[in-house]
Amino acid sequence: MPCLIALIVFGIMGIFSASHRALAKEAFDCIFRRVTFRPCNTGFQDKIKGKILSKIIARSTFWAKMVNKHYEILSWVFFILMVGSTAYVFYGGYNFYVYGSCNGLNESGFCAFDPKGENNKTTTVEGAACGITKDSEENLTLDGVNLEIFSTINSDSEDTVVFIGCYDCDYSRKVYPDIMKLIEKKKPNYILAHYPAKGDTMFLGYAGYAVRKIYGEEAFGKLNNYLFTADKEYILNKANLNAILASFNFDVKKINDYANSPETKQMVENEIVELNKTNLYGTPTIFINDKVFVGPKPYRVYNSAINRFIFF
Amino acid sequence: MLNLDKIRVDFNILNKKDGVSPIYLDSACMSLKPNSVIEAMNDYYFNFPACDRSLHKLGSNVTKKVKEARELVAKFINAKSIDEIIFTRNTTEGINLLANSLDLVKGDIVLVSDKEHNSNLIPWLLLRDKIGIEVKIIPGNVDGTFNLDNFSKLISGVKLVSIVHTSNLDGVTNPAKEIIEIAHKNNALVCLDVAQSIPHRKIDVQDLDVDFLAFSGHKMLGPTGTGVFYGKQKLLEKLTPFLVGGDTVEFSTYDSYKMLEVPEKFEAGLQNYAGIIGLGEAVKYLNQFDFEDIKEHELKLNTYITEELKKIPQIKIIGPENPVYRSGIVNFYIESTDMHKFVIMLDEMANIEIRSGQHCVHSWFADKKIYNSARVSLYLYNTMEEAEAFITNLNKIIKIL
Repeated sequence: MPCLIALIVFGIMGIFSASHRALAKEAFDCIFRRVTFRPCNTGFQDKIKGKILSKIIARSTFWAKMVNKHYEILSWVFFILMVGSTAYVFYGGYNFYVYGSCNGLNESGFCAFDPKGENNKTTTVEGAACGITKDSEENLTLDGVNLEIFSTINSDSEDTVVFIGCYDCDYSRKVYPDIMKLIEKKKPNYILAHYPAKGDTMFLGYAGYAVRKIYGEEAFGKLNNYLFTADKEYILNKANLNAILASFNFDVKKINDYANSPETKQMVENEIVELNKTNLYGTPTIFINDKVFVGPKPYRVYNSAINRFIFF
Repeated sequence: MLNLDKIRVDFNILNKKDGVSPIYLDSACMSLKPNSVIEAMNDYYFNFPACDRSLHKLGSNVTKKVKEARELVAKFINAKSIDEIIFTRNTTEGINLLANSLDLVKGDIVLVSDKEHNSNLIPWLLLRDKIGIEVKIIPGNVDGTFNLDNFSKLISGVKLVSIVHTSNLDGVTNPAKEIIEIAHKNNALVCLDVAQSIPHRKIDVQDLDVDFLAFSGHKMLGPTGTGVFYGKQKLLEKLTPFLVGGDTVEFSTYDSYKMLEVPEKFEAGLQNYAGIIGLGEAVKYLNQFDFEDIKEHELKLNTYITEELKKIPQIKIIGPENPVYRSGIVNFYIESTDMHKFVIMLDEMANIEIRSGQHCVHSWFADKKIYNSARVSLYLYNTMEEAEAFITNLNKIIKIL
C-alpha cells in the first residue's frame, strides 16, 4: 500500500522534480514486483518508512513508535484520504470549469482556482453592497415572470439567455462583453434587463426604454453596448445623457419627452416589479436555459451552459 | 597514538563549511580519500594527462609517476621486486586474473573459507562449472574464527588455497601465516584476499611467504578503480595472462607475438594512470602512521560500540563477541528485521553512514538463514564522538521499534 501511495504522490511530484521521479520509478518497480507475485526487493518501503520515521523521531519518540507500529493502517488511511481528496479535486475542477466555482453553482466557498472569489462577486440588490454574497440561488426563478415586456432578440431560438445587470455595477459591466460574445456566437433568445441595484441609474433606464420603443431593439442593444462599456463616471452623469443620445443620432428631445412621460416611468417600474419576481439578490444575474448564474463567471461557464454536452 | 584533529583536516568531506559533514562508518566498503590523493590525481589530469611510455615529456612524467607508485606499493607490502606488483581495477579483478591464468584443470581443488566475499568465491565456482575444478569450503568455528583443524583435514591434494585475510563480514582476521605454512607443506599455493586487512595492519608478503595477494585501493584511502595483484615473480612468470592486447606484447606479426615480461604482460590496455598515481599517494599517506596505532584506535571505538550494543537485548553481533578479534568492524542484526531501515534512519536523523545488506557474502547469510545485517566499519579518521552519536541514534531507533 505505501508503494501505491508513493507512486501517485511521487509521480505527481516527479513532474516537477527529477529526484522525485527516481522515487516514483522505484515505487513503480515495487508495485510491479508485487503484482507479479514477487517480493518488493528494492527496499523502497523501508526507505520511505525510514525517512518518515526519522523526521518524526526528531520531534517525538512516542509518535515515531506509534507510526512505526501502525504504519500499514496509517498508509491505508492516507490512501483513502488521498483517493477522496483526489476525487474532490477533480470534482472541484469540474465545478470550476462548468460553474466558475469549485464548490458548485454560485457557491461562494473558498476555491483554490479562484482564491479571491472573483467569479462570485455581485452587487447586492438590497444595500448595493459589492462583494461575495452568501444568498442561495435556489429561489431564483423565471416562473411567473413576464419576460415579454423586456427587450428580446432571436425569439425563435431554442436557447434562452436572460441578462439582468446594472449600469453602475462593476460586476455587471465586467461580464457584459462575455454575454455579448455568447449572444453573437450562439444566437439564443436574448432578454436584456436593467436592474438599478446601485446608484441613480433610473434615468438611464427611462432613456433606454424610450430608445427601445422609438428606435427598436437593435438601437436599444447598441445603446446598452455603450452604457455597459463606456466610462462609468461619464454615463452616470445626467448632464451627459443628451450628448450620449446625440452620439447615436437619436432625436434627443423626442427621447427625453418619451422617457419623462408617466407611462414610461410606469413601464420601467413594472419591469423592476417583474425582475423582483425572480427573487434576484445581486447583479449580474444571468439565466441560461434551466441554470442561473449569479456573479461574473468566465465565458466558458456560459458557453458550457448553453452547449448540449458541456464542450460542444 | 593518532592525532585525529590533524588527520581529519586532511579529509575535505570531514570539514564541510556548512557543518553537515557525514559521520562516515562505512570504510570497509569504501574509505574516504585524503586531499593529497585527490590532488595527485588532479595533478595528472591538469598537468601531464598522457600515456605511460610515450617518449615525450608528458609521457615520461607518467612513466616516472607510475613507477614511483609501483615502488611505493612494493615497499608497502615488502615485495622483493617492483615487478611483482600488477595494477588492477580492484581485488575482484586480481582474483579473477589468478583464476583465469593459473591453468587449472579438471579435478584441481581450490580451498576457500566459509565466509568469502563473492569476489573470492564466484570466480572459483565459475571455473568449477566451466572446467570441472573442485571447490571445497573450510568450515569455520561457530564464532566465525578460522578452524585450523578443519583446514588441515582438507588441505591434502589441494592446488590452491584462496582465502580472505580479514573478513568484511565480521572483521575476523584469519591466521594467514599458519595457513600458508600448512598449505606449502602440502604443496598448495596460497592467494590471500587482503582487501580488508591492508588498510588496517602491516602486510609483509615475504614474512607471510604468500604466493599471491590481491587488494583494492579504494578501501585504503586510494581512488576507486584501483587495485593490486601481487605474485611471487617466479610464479607470475608461469601464469598465462588471460587479458591480453595493448601494452602486453613486445612485438607482434600477423601470426605471432612476443609477450612482455611481468608485470606488463598482465596489464593489458591503457591503464588508470590517475588512479595508480592516487594509489601511490594513498600508500604515501598511510606510511606516515604506525599500523599499531590504527589498530589500537579502531579497537577503542569498536570496544565502546560493542559494549553499548551488548546492552540492547535484540541485537546480535556477527562474529566473536570480543572486539579484539573483529578489527574495525561491528556487524549486527536483529532477527526478523530488515536492517535497511536502520541505515536509512541513521542517515536521515544524523548523517550517520553505515551499510546494510549481505555485504557480498550472500553464501554465509544463505547458510545461516539471516536476512541481512547492518555493519559499522571504522577507520583512522573516526572519533569517539562519532561512535557515541551512532549509539545515541541507534538507541532512539530501537526504542520505536
